[in-house]
Amino acid sequence: MLAKLRNLATVTAVAAAVTLLAACATNSSTATPAAAASGAPGTGGTKIGFIFVGPKDDYGYNQAAYEGSQAVAKAFPAMEVLTAENVPEDDNAARVMEGMIRKGAKIIFATSYGHKDPALKVAAAHPDVVVLQQGNIVDGAVPPNFGTYFGTVYEPVYLAGIVAGKTTKSNKLGYVYAFPISQTLDNINAFQLGAASVNPAAKTYVVNTSSWCDPAKQAEAAKSLLSQGVDVISQHQDCTATVIRATEAAGAYTVGYHADASSLAPKGWLTGSQWNWGPLYTKMTQKIMDGGFTGSPYNANFRVGLKTGDNPFVQSAYGPSVSEDAKKLATDAMARISKDGSPFLGPVTDQAGAVKIPAGTVPDYKTIESIDYFVTGVVGKIPSS
Amino acid sequence: MTDTQVTVPDVRPQIVDNRQKQVLGWVVAVAGAPVIFGAFVAVKGVNPFTVYADMLTSLADPVQGQAVLVRAAVLLLAGLAVAVPARAGLLNVGGEGQIVIGAVSAAGVGLIADQRLPGGLVLVLMVLAAMAGGAAWAGLAAGLRLTVKVNEAISTLLLNFVAIDIMLGLIYDPWKDASGFGQPSSRPLADTARLPLFTTGGTLNAGIVLALLALVGVWAALRYTTWGFRLRVVGGNPEAARRAGMRVGPLLLSAMLVGGALAGLAGLVHFAGTEFKLRPGMTTNFGYIGFLASWLAMHRPLRVGLAAVLLAAIAMGGDSLQIDAGLPAASLNVLMAVVLLVVLGSRLAPRRKS
Amino acid sequence: MIVIEVLAGGVRGGTAILYAALGETLAERAGIINLGTEGSMLAGALTAYAITAETGSPWAGVVTGALAGALLAAVHVFMVVARGANQLATGLVVLFLGGGLTAMFGAAYVGRSITPFRPYAIPLLSDIPGLGPVLFDHDPLVYLSYLLAPALWWLLFRSRWGLIVRGAGEHPAALSAYGHSPKLVRYLAVIGGGLLTGIGGAHLSTAYANAWFENMTTGRGFIAVALVIFAAWHPLRAVGGAYLFGAALALSPALQARGYGFNQFVLDALPYLVTIAALIVLGRRRINAAPEDLSRVFDLTPSR
Repeated sequence: MLAKLRNLATVTAVAAAVTLLAACATNSSTATPAAAASGAPGTGGTKIGFIFVGPKDDYGYNQAAYEGSQAVAKAFPAMEVLTAENVPEDDNAARVMEGMIRKGAKIIFATSYGHKDPALKVAAAHPDVVVLQQGNIVDGAVPPNFGTYFGTVYEPVYLAGIVAGKTTKSNKLGYVYAFPISQTLDNINAFQLGAASVNPAAKTYVVNTSSWCDPAKQAEAAKSLLSQGVDVISQHQDCTATVIRATEAAGAYTVGYHADASSLAPKGWLTGSQWNWGPLYTKMTQKIMDGGFTGSPYNANFRVGLKTGDNPFVQSAYGPSVSEDAKKLATDAMARISKDGSPFLGPVTDQAGAVKIPAGTVPDYKTIESIDYFVTGVVGKIPSS
Repeated sequence: MTDTQVTVPDVRPQIVDNRQKQVLGWVVAVAGAPVIFGAFVAVKGVNPFTVYADMLTSLADPVQGQAVLVRAAVLLLAGLAVAVPARAGLLNVGGEGQIVIGAVSAAGVGLIADQRLPGGLVLVLMVLAAMAGGAAWAGLAAGLRLTVKVNEAISTLLLNFVAIDIMLGLIYDPWKDASGFGQPSSRPLADTARLPLFTTGGTLNAGIVLALLALVGVWAALRYTTWGFRLRVVGGNPEAARRAGMRVGPLLLSAMLVGGALAGLAGLVHFAGTEFKLRPGMTTNFGYIGFLASWLAMHRPLRVGLAAVLLAAIAMGGDSLQIDAGLPAASLNVLMAVVLLVVLGSRLAPRRKS
Repeated sequence: MIVIEVLAGGVRGGTAILYAALGETLAERAGIINLGTEGSMLAGALTAYAITAETGSPWAGVVTGALAGALLAAVHVFMVVARGANQLATGLVVLFLGGGLTAMFGAAYVGRSITPFRPYAIPLLSDIPGLGPVLFDHDPLVYLSYLLAPALWWLLFRSRWGLIVRGAGEHPAALSAYGHSPKLVRYLAVIGGGLLTGIGGAHLSTAYANAWFENMTTGRGFIAVALVIFAAWHPLRAVGGAYLFGAALALSPALQARGYGFNQFVLDALPYLVTIAALIVLGRRRINAAPEDLSRVFDLTPSR
């Protein structure tokens, strides 16, 4: 019996050694191209793929991206648009993208922040495919068949902050957020800066839920903010209905995010920020299909805002409680930012009062997207150092 | 309970080794589950035949085939982590937590060492750390059972959630990737310390080798060693084992530790083979699905391997459900559940106390 | 003030967990553990939301939500009692089934609006300082749970029915000797438990969060399973435990809204840690409190 076992062990060990030797390729995220490119990247496909991190009907971020994909389908009737929802931000994403490429897609939109690494991996393996990633940013050189794109999300949020600051009676604004990622910190900071620009007494109270969508935690977060006397609540969550309904039920004001949800808050809706991806998606797709992607502005960390036009993130319509005064202030600010400004035009100071952006400086997108602090006037701590 | 007149079904799964019936069960499952799931699909207004055709086509692709094996490697280890303790009559519902702790231990070693030591050495250290971490986490439950008689099924289940919170606590603060734009995740593991791939540009990593080694090792150990024999005796009748002079406590502990180490290894394979960083939700129920794989296989190591491949294939087929049929991603959970229900239900049906 | 806010939040947020825990207590008292609680909650949450959206009546929603929870529990008990499948494994399968089906069929209701349950402050009682806002300013399902927990306690420990249910959990042999069918009792107890669990899910979607979203229970079903053990299979102790766990969920936002940073993972782990601690401290006594035939579920697997 024992001899048998010993033999077995030897055989297994030898087999293992052989297989491990065979498995000698490096497990790297920058794999060498599998095939040489023929023609410009992204051309010659029959399908266009979109992946979303959440369900495509969340009345939020993913639904907005999904609607954008449907606009592309309409604009290019000859192309079939493939969509996949709930694609996790890990290697599964690479697999789903590979699946789409196998089916004939030469253009892929990876629409979640965390899809960047798998998207880069897929782009490296398929030089003939253009992979576009929504919201993240590439450090250093951008591969010839890759690009990131996003709107300057914080601009409409800043405008909404102005309206909120002008409307609040308690001077306490609330913000429910998920994770302290830079994009969210930008939004909260812009909201507070906008409010403070018209109402120096305004402060923004923040509560995080550590989840993009946990309605019960959202309900509790809204309750806590309301019980502190907050009378305007905004949020950065993937599903937004719970907070809006709780705010409306308490007679407080809502600033929306992702989509126009004024129907959920007929009384308290102030304004908000909402996506309109269709035009930008369509333009980018056209550019790729024309063969001109590489070297184009899209072949980079492409950012659009009030200054460049085409911002896919726009201000929502005003609700009934917004004063003409507030509307005018927002319009003025919009004109200011469109010309040469930025919500983050210095001086910007952090919670401790230290100057982070010197007076008169307009920070570039990279700087803004790397912000890791709350500005003066935000009440609450970032849940990490 | 010795009362034999009772008609109450015994909740202990007495494994009746009736191959014919088992084969029949699998046939019923293979035929029955698609019918049931097809009905759900049809209600959603999608043609089930197209769905199945697309699923099978997608699995035939070599890229997808690799993905199945990558996933099967993790599930196999997670299943063995249940099967070994089950031999000794212990229920390890804590694979999920042990996988997380394994990945956390591996990441801890990796973050310290991957810039300083040669990659191969880092990998070996990570394997050891992951197995030790998983074993320790399972050992906690075993210790509680042996000292204060806390049931291990309950404690391992509860410890899963604690493990996940530990990981989240780490990646939100001390281990957060400084250049990750605030995303809660750890820094990616250096290329050199990752599990090697079989083919450049592919996804199949050496994890499958580790899993197969573990499979052969567990199979042989249970079959040919005194330890395996004693485990079976203890699992069959602890009282008899005790009377026969066996030290039951250490045996139970060893079974649980081995199970935990296997789950920890699963965590390593997932971390160093596929994920490379810790992030929220990275384990996606591997532990629970491994638990089900082990039950599907009646805790027989070789069959756990088959069950792991089957469940991995279902999960990968789920991609095509979305891309081709436009069904929500979670639909594949329905397919998996239906398959499991039919197998679990049909196999044990004829069993009666004799 | 913060104490009252957190306690009120604990009652509000603990109610869904309480319903699920009471349902699970009933099932486990009859000797069957159901790890698919989370699945039943999701089924209850979606069905209640969908029916409320269609009919405009949250009560119709709760009733159908309860039925949906019961339906999933019925799958579980059928597998266990009629097919002899392992309880823990089947429970997990039911969990995946519930999660999958609700994601598959719930998508259409994500953006729908409903008329939810409204909080109703009970006159006089809600004016009691401290106690009033904590206990008597809630939605009707919270008040219903105040009645349900004692009712279940009475049913289990003071009624003939309870004797039979507990008999099925402790000594099924003796029960059948008296001419009762332990099988039937288990069917009823588990399905009844599913009804209550479904109400718990319905509370989440139609009274607490007022929204349906895929996987919106986020682990509350498992907290309920832990709670049953923490409460030693006792309905009244489950009440305290549910509010404790609910308060743990409410503490983090309450502190944050006051500007305090907080590591919420310690709080998130709390329900599981205190349950483990309770098991350790009470050790043997707690095990003895478990229905005897249920304990046998855990001592499994002589797999030859």
